[in-house]
Amino acid sequence: MKEESKRSIDKASQQMIDKAAKEKVKLSWDRLEDMEPQCGFGQLGICCRNCTMGPCRIDPFGEGPQKAVCGADVDTIVARNLLRHIAVGAAAHSDHGRDVAHTLLLASEGKAHDYEIKDVEKLKKIAGYYEIKTDGKKKEELAREVAEASLADFGRQEGEIKFANRAPAKRVELWRKLGIMPRGIDREIVECLHRTHMGVDNDYKNILLHGLRTSLGDGWGGSMIATELQDIFFATPEPIRGKVNLGVLKEDLVNIVVHGHEPILSEMAVKASQDPELLEMAKKSGAKGINLVGMCCTANEILMRHGVPVAGNFLQQELAIMTGAVEVMMVDVQCIMPALKDIASCFHTQIITTSPKAKFPGVTHIEFKEEKAYEVAKSIIKMAVDNFKKRKKERVDIPKEEMDLVAGFSAEVIHHILGGRFRATYRPLNDAIISGRLRGVAGVVGCNNPHVKHDWAHLELVKELIRSDVLVLQTGCSAIACAKAGLMKPEAGFKYAGYGLREICEAVGIPPVLHLGSCVDNSRILIAATEIIKEGGLGDDLSCLPAAGAAPEWMSEKAITIGMYFVASGVFTVFNPPQPILGSKNVSDLVCSKLKDLVGGYFAFESNPKKMAKLMINHIDKKRKELNLKPVMYKPIIVKT
Amino acid sequence: MTSYVIIGGSAAGISCCEAIRDVDEKGPITLISDEKASLYSRCLLTYLIGGKIDKERLLFKDKDFYKTKNIEALHGVKAVSIDIKKKEIDLDNKKSVKFDKLLIATGASSKRLNIPGGDKKGVFGLRDIIDAEGIMSMLDNVDTAVILGGGLIGLRDAYALKLRGKKVKVIVKSPQVLSQIVDKDAAFIIEKKLAQEGIEVMKGLAATRIDGNDSVTGVTLDDKSKLSCQMVIIGKGVQPNRGLADGTGIKVEDGIIVDNRLQTSVKDIYAAGDVAQAPDITTGGLKINAVWPVAIEQGKIAGLNMAGRDTVYDGSNMMNSTDFFGLAVISIGITKPKESVYEELKYSDRETNTYKKVVLRDNIICGAVLVNKVVNAGVYGVLIAKKVDCTPIKDILLSDNFDYAKILPIVKGFPDKFNKPEFKETVMSI
Amino acid sequence: MKKIFCDITKCVGCKGCEIACAVEHSKAKGLSAALKERPLPKRRVKVSSSDKKILSIHCQHCADAPCILACMSGALSKEKESGKTVHDKDRCVGCWMCIMACPFGAIVRNIEDHIAVKCDLCPDREDFACVRACPTGALFVGTEEEFKKILKKKTHV
Repeated sequence: MKEESKRSIDKASQQMIDKAAKEKVKLSWDRLEDMEPQCGFGQLGICCRNCTMGPCRIDPFGEGPQKAVCGADVDTIVARNLLRHIAVGAAAHSDHGRDVAHTLLLASEGKAHDYEIKDVEKLKKIAGYYEIKTDGKKKEELAREVAEASLADFGRQEGEIKFANRAPAKRVELWRKLGIMPRGIDREIVECLHRTHMGVDNDYKNILLHGLRTSLGDGWGGSMIATELQDIFFATPEPIRGKVNLGVLKEDLVNIVVHGHEPILSEMAVKASQDPELLEMAKKSGAKGINLVGMCCTANEILMRHGVPVAGNFLQQELAIMTGAVEVMMVDVQCIMPALKDIASCFHTQIITTSPKAKFPGVTHIEFKEEKAYEVAKSIIKMAVDNFKKRKKERVDIPKEEMDLVAGFSAEVIHHILGGRFRATYRPLNDAIISGRLRGVAGVVGCNNPHVKHDWAHLELVKELIRSDVLVLQTGCSAIACAKAGLMKPEAGFKYAGYGLREICEAVGIPPVLHLGSCVDNSRILIAATEIIKEGGLGDDLSCLPAAGAAPEWMSEKAITIGMYFVASGVFTVFNPPQPILGSKNVSDLVCSKLKDLVGGYFAFESNPKKMAKLMINHIDKKRKELNLKPVMYKPIIVKT
Repeated sequence: MTSYVIIGGSAAGISCCEAIRDVDEKGPITLISDEKASLYSRCLLTYLIGGKIDKERLLFKDKDFYKTKNIEALHGVKAVSIDIKKKEIDLDNKKSVKFDKLLIATGASSKRLNIPGGDKKGVFGLRDIIDAEGIMSMLDNVDTAVILGGGLIGLRDAYALKLRGKKVKVIVKSPQVLSQIVDKDAAFIIEKKLAQEGIEVMKGLAATRIDGNDSVTGVTLDDKSKLSCQMVIIGKGVQPNRGLADGTGIKVEDGIIVDNRLQTSVKDIYAAGDVAQAPDITTGGLKINAVWPVAIEQGKIAGLNMAGRDTVYDGSNMMNSTDFFGLAVISIGITKPKESVYEELKYSDRETNTYKKVVLRDNIICGAVLVNKVVNAGVYGVLIAKKVDCTPIKDILLSDNFDYAKILPIVKGFPDKFNKPEFKETVMSI
Repeated sequence: MKKIFCDITKCVGCKGCEIACAVEHSKAKGLSAALKERPLPKRRVKVSSSDKKILSIHCQHCADAPCILACMSGALSKEKESGKTVHDKDRCVGCWMCIMACPFGAIVRNIEDHIAVKCDLCPDREDFACVRACPTGALFVGTEEEFKKILKKKTHV
């Protein structure tokens, strides 16, 4: 097998990996090879650097030390490390949410005049959750109150964060009983750091329970605020056509890749890319126009609302630059490889950082300010236009692969498309599950990771699920992986979906795999699941649902936190690679088994996507049985490859 | 061409043959052994009796060793006398062999007991394969075995028979087992382990007679008590087989005296192994250290010298390593010092059956006893062998973390003593 | 002979070689699966230090190996062509004579199987697990001459 096909199953990516090899440019896969074998202590989570009596490591093979200098055993060390990962993941998503809330506040006060409130319906709905009266208020006034209320949830010291109460009542009661109802989004994160300081929380179970609470502060807090307030600003997504893969870069256009996570600036960049003045300049530079495309979750955000093309997912960020056709890669926060600078230096590509939180040494920084958002966006697009002249034609190789997809499936949209705009309801979906036409629902999410063949596990898993009549909801880089393979075309149902799912796809006109957005939009999956429970007939708690989650190629701490809030919400969730906890049998047992008795959800670690699917399907079938549902109507289909 | 004769076909003899062949590929080698069996390891006999290995695995060299090394091996033939002038050896088959260089590696025999009844059926020493086969052929008819002697051989015999499911009683005159090689603290742990595993050690007692008609039926002890048994094994240590040297002019004390090239007082005649009284590192005198590794090393150095490669023997240390039911015991050098010039460092944990002792004289280590935690025993061993001042590491000698890394400064500091290339390689980068 | 050397000045004590060694000597040859094996796989290398000097202790495959002299069961022997000191686990009876003899403490007990274990220079792979695992290049494979050259180069820089 050629090297590139070992690294990715995506043709476009393979072509660029091959090009990089020929040009001796190092990619993440090469750096992984250089790094291997990687530290076993790190993989197992059994090293502790929390104080300078250490660093300490526990010998996993039992011959060396079994206690840290402070006396912490392997369970404490593993649990503390895991808690820190959860804190970081929660912090990342929540800080994203905070920035959106802050922008909403500025906009409501007229200080961020480039932004307007597009979705008043959603604004009112959210105001309702915060118990804010909407009568007779102007949208700016209401937006200010909503922004202030959501910012208050970040800094809340006592009580409960508001959105957590959107979960089914039984679930909320359980969280209260276990003492894991988040009090304030930031407070729980801070407490993670306190608890993992030397000599504080030494009980791995107690540590992990706080991890669940912190993660709930993300899923039902920070992330959900990010999603909801972005919808208020930029409108709740509705089904929209788009294109995906490196082929969306165009040889005759000025190519700008917006990469990262927050839509606040990239929304402005979308607008600026259509600025007549800039288009004129572009033509003068010899380009036919300006082509703004997305990468990673920034891509998902602007895809969901504007149909902006998606260049690729996490492991394609380097590959986009390898095309030699990117004038500017504008980045904000999260999942931006430091390597971009090195790869860009092999081409004319300019990397431009925009967040005061995320700078690169030696990289142009144009700081984003809410107050002059459009101006900043325009200046960046202008730099791209200027840079077009420096592009070396002979070094340009753009893979031809680009795939059609339909995105934009917010929780609200699922209401509408299933029930129609005037009788929005989840009833048909619930009925489909109850009758056995659909086996259940799965959330397949998460990153790419060079430890797993790029996109392979996502695709194998999702195909396996849909052929077994499981409706798959996706976000993040996982969604992009499946979109590239054509699973998000409405006609994909005919090829890949089981008979039951196929019937639903045909009747409603949806693909068998639904794109719900970016990784903060995993909160949409929580809301959709809650809506299903509310609709009735499938139990009274999220843990009753014939549903399961998976992150088959995860790499970031955010994924751990997402997994934790899925599990804390009652969802069985499969991860690959395993979380760095295998060094402790007790912590692993808790995470992969005993959590079930506490919160209904728990984890499994499995690297084979077929087995992963089997675990999820078995869980779904078990839940169907517990609900006394009819047998599934159809056997899984066999898809010819 | 030099012709070589080796008397004795065990550790020292075989090791000598190998060493000669490393230097001299052609010189004829004749090996004479009064045993019919060849190339087997005596130390494995208790493993054979205990059922841990089969007869095949008694061999410590390939079956075709003699052939590949081009050695004429005369097994089942006894050397009767040596004529040092004619350089000739008379054999019990009426033949004789001439030699240019001779190695006497006749080993040792079990000490006999001068008590009545020692000739009865069922009384054994355990020294060679014939003894072992005799013991094994009787096993089915034995319910209880009595071992006379609590030394290493006695205890190994006891262990082997216990593994065979026999009732085993060990009669020890001294107040502890293994009194020759370990102190009473180590012995305490070993005795505890033996007791746990069902071996009864009866201390402060000796047998006065072995009872029975033709066959053993019991043992009478010096407190007049009687033990019933069907087998008696005498484990009272060994005595060197030095008879061949008698009257030849070869100097003999406890064993055959050799110099630091393993040569006896007579030129071209060498001795090695359990029969040789050779330089001893810790005492500085001449001593028989009748253990396998010493025999192998002596045989090797004797062989090199016989073949003309001048090689100095640094001397040996008493050293023993064994294992009872998974309890490892290693002792090296002086383990029970009597004079006050010696200093003892001890660590004992009876809960975990762990014991460590290091014996020093003027901060130079001259002995060590390790029970249970025996890893790194050889690091103590090399410090004992090299006689270096251990003051800088004295306070960590008993630590569980003590290992080769801890002696790096010493290895670096004494390049003349740590002169093997492997030592140099470890400190080359600092 | 070609063997493994440790450059003490480059070893940071990460113990990566220890884990890699244990994993290489597991049935599964993978970390998480190896941890589930019983008995746990045994490492044959140990990282230790004295006075801030850190050393990864390995079998030195001594030319004149004291462990071979001490072995009474014929389990330890010298492989002529390669110079490797090899241990035949089927012949080993667990008398620990080799442990008593090895001046480097490079032979350890496998208590469950009651045999000695030592560095076997990774017979199941072409390279060496510990060397491959070493993140700083402190572990080096080659002849003594090659190792000397490397060290010399370093001092010139």
